[in-house]
Amino acid sequence: MKREQFERWLKNIYETQDDEISCNECFDQVSQFVDLEISSLNAPAQMPQVKQHLAQCRACRDEYEALRDLRLLEEKGELPSLDELQDSI
Amino acid sequence: MIFMSNTRTNQEWLEDLTASGSVQESAIADLRNLLLRTVLFFFSRNGGDFEKLGRDEILQLAEDCAQEALIAVLKHLTDFRGDSKFTTWVYKFGINTALMTSRREKWKNISIDQLLTSEDSSEPEWMMRDKSPGVAPDQSALQGEVGDILREVIERDLTEKQRQILILIVFNEVPMDEVVRQLSTNRNAIYKLLHDARRKLKSGLQARGFEIGETLALFGAPR
Repeated sequence: MKREQFERWLKNIYETQDDEISCNECFDQVSQFVDLEISSLNAPAQMPQVKQHLAQCRACRDEYEALRDLRLLEEKGELPSLDELQDSI
Repeated sequence: MIFMSNTRTNQEWLEDLTASGSVQESAIADLRNLLLRTVLFFFSRNGGDFEKLGRDEILQLAEDCAQEALIAVLKHLTDFRGDSKFTTWVYKFGINTALMTSRREKWKNISIDQLLTSEDSSEPEWMMRDKSPGVAPDQSALQGEVGDILREVIERDLTEKQRQILILIVFNEVPMDEVVRQLSTNRNAIYKLLHDARRKLKSGLQARGFEIGETLALFGAPR
């Protein structure tokens, strides 16, 4: 565990809430969270429990970041085609 | 390759996928292509997880993931509430399957049992106070105190299961899905163990007078 990871973990410890949503609940809501973000509708304010879970859970955060990046590229019309993606492998 | 799939509205997706005959077949084919594209998008940005596989094997893995995600989407179709674009909702199934597959590939030859029994795993470097030249002795002593409290809570207050999961996921950065796979459990259960461990660690620090601002400043972490 590197120093910066320790610092992040320490922050996560202090930001722990008594009630946190589960990974399943986060998965259920993350598509709405991302679409609110894409539409600049302040997703963290509207869905604070999702924001909190994403800060604490690396697995859910990795999925969220991939989903958000994919949607951002799609919105800009820059998502690579299937052929381009296959060629990139 | 031309994709027509994104031209459907949410309602049209649901109608077409639950129709019959060629309308349904076409919708399912479009859905599968969307998922394959999603999986390949994820794989392309996580190439390091597949270092031991050839291109054909990775492409086959992507096909398998797309199929698995397709089955998941169709199984959960009635759960879609319309609070996002249908395609965003679909993408998350593709990403979820792709992430679990890529982590499994990366960690498939690593035993978490070995990590749990290795002495290096349970004594991370942060347990030591920072003795570098720029750190004042007082600060170093307080850092050491925080480390001692954390160690104490981990050893005394956490259950064996909480301690094991903490060592694996936090200290050794084993992906949660790999822990889930090797211990035959699920994400919710692992998250709960970590959550309970964090609550005990937070209480332990606060009981000894270490509040958030002071402690984070001590280690230079952003508030």
